[in-house]
Amino acid sequence: MTPARATGYKSADELPADAREALAATLLSLADNKRILGMRYGEWILGAPTLEAGIACSAMAQDEWGHGRILYATLKDFGTDPGPLEHERESDAYLSSELLDAPVEEWPEFLTLNLLFDAALSVQVEALTSSRYEPILFKTRKLLEEERFHFEHGRGWAMRLAETAAGRNALNTAFRKALGPCLRWFGRDDAPFGRALVEAGIADGAGDALRERWVARIAPVLREANLGVLGEELESGLELDWSSWSAGRRRSGEGGPHPETLARIRGDRNRSMLMD
Amino acid sequence: MGHLSGERLYEVFARQKREDRLEHIGTVSAPNAELARVYAWKTYDEATWFEMVVAPRDAFRAVNRDEVPFTLHPAEAP
Repeated sequence: MTPARATGYKSADELPADAREALAATLLSLADNKRILGMRYGEWILGAPTLEAGIACSAMAQDEWGHGRILYATLKDFGTDPGPLEHERESDAYLSSELLDAPVEEWPEFLTLNLLFDAALSVQVEALTSSRYEPILFKTRKLLEEERFHFEHGRGWAMRLAETAAGRNALNTAFRKALGPCLRWFGRDDAPFGRALVEAGIADGAGDALRERWVARIAPVLREANLGVLGEELESGLELDWSSWSAGRRRSGEGGPHPETLARIRGDRNRSMLMD
Repeated sequence: MGHLSGERLYEVFARQKREDRLEHIGTVSAPNAELARVYAWKTYDEATWFEMVVAPRDAFRAVNRDEVPFTLHPAEAP
């Protein structure tokens, strides 16, 4: 780690052009996903199965919005003003996963976001923890400390639901639907995007390498939750459908977060009173 | 207080500095120790804790009194 830092990049201007573009897109993707994930967590402050779970959702929502804010701010170094990014973009400009487009209606679906997708975001952040791009190093530590508890929340609830056959079936159905989007989220292994980050020492992995890290984290939890078959399928490598994949937006399918979601995230209705 | 089936009460202890004593700071209800840890950390986040631990309330054994339930909250005593 020390030699890497000794030859680190102190600002985005010093980065090779392809790595600069790839890192800015990675940071924006993380920021967008965390912003909307925070919204989805926040939607469960009311309606979670227990008061404690509601409090946890509230805290996780705050964490994600904080992470989003920090990540948007990192883009200043790339010459991008975070204000318009946070308040002026429409749905099809968001680099967010299709898993986050609509509010989730059921607790097992919520757990796909909390356990599976949030962990995918963390695996991507972890890949930047020994980055040669120094400004990001100070941002990742607290973020990942908070994420430990998000993962434990998802894991604890998966184990709880798995205690009954009905809960296990519901989890199995919800998780099965979300595995593809989570696995694809790391991008194709031969994407120039990921290669540029690894070659410049900005990330210590991309594509398949990150997918494998995510699988190594999720499969043991599936086994703990008596979803061993799903865990084995995951470990043996699921066939991924890339037919509608957009590498630039890191998602499958057109569209983006529902307009109502965005209007609430941006605070459109009440913000309009404060504008010139 | 009603509880969902499978829920247990966990007592939460914490200290802000290494040299402090662990103090009882509250209670959470959780179905397992994993969630008890998360709930404790996320619910009692008013300080930057050096250390926080949780233990199921029913792990405590009365020493000088016979009656149960054992309580750490004087206000909860009958």
